[in-house]
Amino acid sequence: MSEQTPTDLQLEFQINGRNMKRRAKPHQRLLDFIRDDLALTGAKEGCGAGECGTCSVFVDGKLVKSCLMPVAKANGTKIETIEGLTGWGGDLTPVQKAFHKTGASQCGYCIPGMVMAATSALRENPKADIEEIKERLGGNICRCTGYTKIFEAVEMARDVLSGEASATVLEADGPGKSYIGNNVRRLDAPSKVSGRLRYAGDMVMPGMLHMQVLRSPHAHALIKSIDTSAAENLPGVACVITSDDVPGEDGFGVFVHDQPIMARGRVRYVGEAIAAVTADDVLTAAHAVSLIKVEYEPVAAVFDAEEAMQNGAPVVHDYAPDNIVKHIPIRKGDLEQGFAEADLVVEQTYETQAVEHAYLEPEAGIAYVDHDDVVTVVSPSQNITHHRHMLAKIIDRPINKVRFIMSPVGGGFGGKEDMIYQGMLALAAMKTGAPVRLVYTREESIISTAKRHPARITYKMGLKNDGRITAVSFRMICDGGAYGLSTEGVMRKAAILSCGPYNVPNLEIDVYGVYTHNTPSGAFRTFGAMQSQFATESHMDICAEKLGLDPFEIRRINMMHDGAVTHTQQTLGSVSMGRVLDAAEKACRWDTGPVGMRGQERSDLGGDDTRPPCTLGARFRKTGDDDRQEVA
Amino acid sequence: MMERKVRGRGMAASWYGIARTATIDRAGAWAEIDDGGTGKIVTGVTEIGEGILTLLAQVAAEEMGVKPEDITIGDNDTARSPEAAHAGATRQTYMIGNSVALACRDARAKLDKELADHWDVDADTIEAFDGEIWSKDSNLKMSMEEAVDICKKRGVVPVGSGSFTAHGTGLDPVDGSGSPWQAYVFGTQVAEVEVDTVTGEVQVLGIWAAHDVGRAINPRGVEGQIEGGVVQGLGQALMEDYQLEDGHTKTHGFAKYILPTSLDIPEINTVIVEDRDPKSPLGAKGIGEPALVPTAPAIMNAIYDAVGVRITSLPATPEKVLAALEAKSAAGQLEAAE
Repeated sequence: MSEQTPTDLQLEFQINGRNMKRRAKPHQRLLDFIRDDLALTGAKEGCGAGECGTCSVFVDGKLVKSCLMPVAKANGTKIETIEGLTGWGGDLTPVQKAFHKTGASQCGYCIPGMVMAATSALRENPKADIEEIKERLGGNICRCTGYTKIFEAVEMARDVLSGEASATVLEADGPGKSYIGNNVRRLDAPSKVSGRLRYAGDMVMPGMLHMQVLRSPHAHALIKSIDTSAAENLPGVACVITSDDVPGEDGFGVFVHDQPIMARGRVRYVGEAIAAVTADDVLTAAHAVSLIKVEYEPVAAVFDAEEAMQNGAPVVHDYAPDNIVKHIPIRKGDLEQGFAEADLVVEQTYETQAVEHAYLEPEAGIAYVDHDDVVTVVSPSQNITHHRHMLAKIIDRPINKVRFIMSPVGGGFGGKEDMIYQGMLALAAMKTGAPVRLVYTREESIISTAKRHPARITYKMGLKNDGRITAVSFRMICDGGAYGLSTEGVMRKAAILSCGPYNVPNLEIDVYGVYTHNTPSGAFRTFGAMQSQFATESHMDICAEKLGLDPFEIRRINMMHDGAVTHTQQTLGSVSMGRVLDAAEKACRWDTGPVGMRGQERSDLGGDDTRPPCTLGARFRKTGDDDRQEVA
Repeated sequence: MMERKVRGRGMAASWYGIARTATIDRAGAWAEIDDGGTGKIVTGVTEIGEGILTLLAQVAAEEMGVKPEDITIGDNDTARSPEAAHAGATRQTYMIGNSVALACRDARAKLDKELADHWDVDADTIEAFDGEIWSKDSNLKMSMEEAVDICKKRGVVPVGSGSFTAHGTGLDPVDGSGSPWQAYVFGTQVAEVEVDTVTGEVQVLGIWAAHDVGRAINPRGVEGQIEGGVVQGLGQALMEDYQLEDGHTKTHGFAKYILPTSLDIPEINTVIVEDRDPKSPLGAKGIGEPALVPTAPAIMNAIYDAVGVRITSLPATPEKVLAALEAKSAAGQLEAAE
C-alpha cells in the first residue's frame, strides 16, 4: 500500500462482528478495501462491473456487489463477508454444508459469492420456492456447475433450516463396500464454500511488486520504436520489460512456438502485450504504462480465414506464407464411387462462432527467484510441465532452475493451457529480484486470451434410401487468429471426430486452421469436436427428414458397433453407441416419428422432468402469505 | 396460425477420444501409506474444478485400504512432484487416476509383504478397507495405523510409484490413418425447447443426457460435469458470441458477452452408462469434454421440430430465429401464391 496522504478517508465500521477504525484511499472500492487492506480474500473480483456476483457481501444486511461500492459508502455500516458466516475454523453454515453435500462447488471461484446470494435468498424468504431461488441467484454467474447442484443445495439448506428435513441429510454418505462408485463429498469443498482457498490473485508475498501491461491498439502494425524512459523514471517503478529483455529463444505455443513473450517488432492482434511495467502498486504501474511511447506503422491486416487463404492476402507469420497453421486430411474409400451409389445427396454449410471461456477467475500469477536461484512461477496454469520446458528455453536456464507451481484454477476449460503471461512475470522477477504479481482485469482477459475456434463447414453427404450413408465430403475452415497456440491439435481432433460415431465407407475430410489478425483461438473444452459434430448432427436430422426417418433411427442405421473401423481406420473394441442411444430415448420418453415440424403433435412434451418456462417479471413472493401473492 | 409459444424436441449423438490425441500419453505418481493409517499421494495434478482431487483420494483410499478423508495430495509443482502433464483432454481420471492406482498398489504390496511375514500368512490373503487390514479366512485383523507401525518397525517404509501410459499413434500425413486413442466414449442428448415466435427467444426446458463414462468413480461428480457441459453447450447454442470488428473486441465484458445464468437452466436428467475400459486398471474413461458435444445440435434440432426453421449458424439468437421464421413465412406465402 502506498503511504498516507491528506486525502485519505477515515472510516469507522463493523466487519464480521468486529468494530474497526481504518484509513482508506478515496479511489478504493469496498472490494479492494476488504481484499487488499483487510486481507479478507473470500470475496473475489470476477468482472469489476457488477455483472458476475463473485464479490458479493452483506452491507447492513443487504446483498451488495462490493466491486460497485466506493469504500467511502461503507463508513458507519455493518459489513459481513463470507469469512463472517463461520469465523475462522468455525462450523460451516447449513447453506455451506449443503453446497458441500450436493457437490455444488467445482472450481469454487464463484462459490463464496454464490453462498452469499443463497444465504441472502433464505434470509429474505426462508420459504423461497425453486423459482424464487433461481431469481435470487440471477446476479451470480457460475461457469462450471450448470447451476443444477447449486439449486439442489439451496433447497436442501432451506428444508434443513425450516425443519422440514433432518440435518442428517447434510452429512456424508457411508463408505458402503467400496469407495469407487461412491458419492464421496468433494474434499476441497469446505475450503471453497468458506472462501478460505486462495487463488493466485489472492496470494501476497513480502516485498511483492505489481505488474501492468501495455497492449496493442492495432491489429497489425510494425513497431518502429518503444520509448520506456518516462515510465522508468516515474517514482515507484521498479522496471519496464520489452522483448529486448528476453535472454533466450523467444517463442511459446503448444505445437508451434510462434508467439513471443511480448511483441517483437510487430503486433499481430489488438490486445497483444508490448511491454510490462513493475511498480510498488497497481496504480503506479498503470500510470507508467500510459507513459510508454510506441511508434507504430499500421500495415494491411486480414480478419477472415477464407480471405487469409487467398493468394496475396497479408501474411501473418513469415514461416507460413499461405497463412495455414495446419491442414489435416483424412481419406477413406472412394468418394466418387460413394456419391455415385447414393440415392440422395445433401449439401449444407454450417458456422460456429468464437466463444470466450469466461472462467470466473481472470488470469493471475506471482513469480519470484528463490534462494537457490530458481525462477518460480505460481499461476493457474493447466500445463505446468510444458510451460517449464518453454520458459527454460526462453530465459536460457537449465530446466531444473525453472519451477512452475499450479495454483488452484478458478475455471480453465482449456483457456489456461497457454503460457500467455507467465513469461512476463518471470522476466520481471529476474530483473527486479522481487516477487511480482499480475492480475488481469476481466476486459484484459477477454480481449487478449484465446477463444474457441470459429468454424465454417461445408458438408456433403450421400445416402441410400434406406438411410445408410455412402459418402461424406467434409471441409472445415477455422480462424486460428494471430498465433498458433493449440490450433494444430484442435484441427486434428476436429477432423478425427468430424463425421461422428457412424460408419462412413467413403470419405474425404479436410480441416484447416488459418492465421488471421483476430484474437488468437486456442484450446477450449472439446478441442474442435463440438464444431465439427454440430455440423454432423444437424446434417443427420436434415437427411432424416428427407428420408422420412426418426432421428434415433437414422443414427442406429449408421452407428458404429463393436469392432467398427473408424474414419482414421482404427479398429475399435467395445462401442457403447447403441447403449447411449437406447438410454437417452428411454429416459426422455421419446415419441418416435420422422423428423419434421411435429413439435405441437408430440406426446412427450412438458413432463415432470422439464422445468416451467420463464415468464417476464420477478417471482419474489411475500413471506408467510398463504395465498403466495406476487409482489413484483 | 401458429401458437405464439411452441415446443419441440431434438436429439444429437456424439463420440470422443480419451486423453491426448494421436500420441503416447503418460502420467506418473508417488504414493506412501503413512503414519496413523493415512495416505499420501504426490502427482503433477491440481484441481481445475472437475473434482479430480476427490477422485484421486477415492482411488487411493480404495487401493490402500484407508478413508478418502485421510488421503493428503501434494501440490502440483514441477520441482516437487512427478510429471502428470496437463489438466485437459479429458485425461485426468484416465491418466492420473490410473497412475495413482498403480502407485498405491506398489505401496500396498510392500506393506502386505511385511504384514504377511508378521502374521505368517500368504501376502495374497491380505485385504484392507476403510482403515482396517486383515487376512482372509482368519481372525487376523488390525487397524491400518498399527499395520504401518509394524511395517516401519521392520525397517520398511511402504512407498510406491506408478506410471500409466495410453498408446495413441500419429496420423498418416496423406490419408490420416492412425489410432489416435485407446479409449473412446459415446453420448446422446435430447433437448426440449420452447420457442417464442413473437420474440424469437428460445428456452431450453429439459435435457436428457446419456453418456458412457467407462466407470463412474464418483457418480455425483459425473453428473456435475455433464450439467456444466450441457450449460456451456446451451450458452454456445443460444447466446454466447465473441464479436470482433476489424480485430477490435465488441464484447469486452459480461454485459455484452452473454452467459447462461440461473434462469436459463433446463432440468438436466443424466443417465450414466458404464462400458468399462479393458485397457486400464480402473476401467474408467472420462466425461469432462464429451458432455458438451451434443448439446448445441440437439437444441438446433429441437428448434426445427418446434417451428420448422433450421439454424445452421450459431448462436441461435432471438434475432436469427425471428429472421428465419420470417423467411419461412415469406417462402410459404410465395408457395401458396404459385
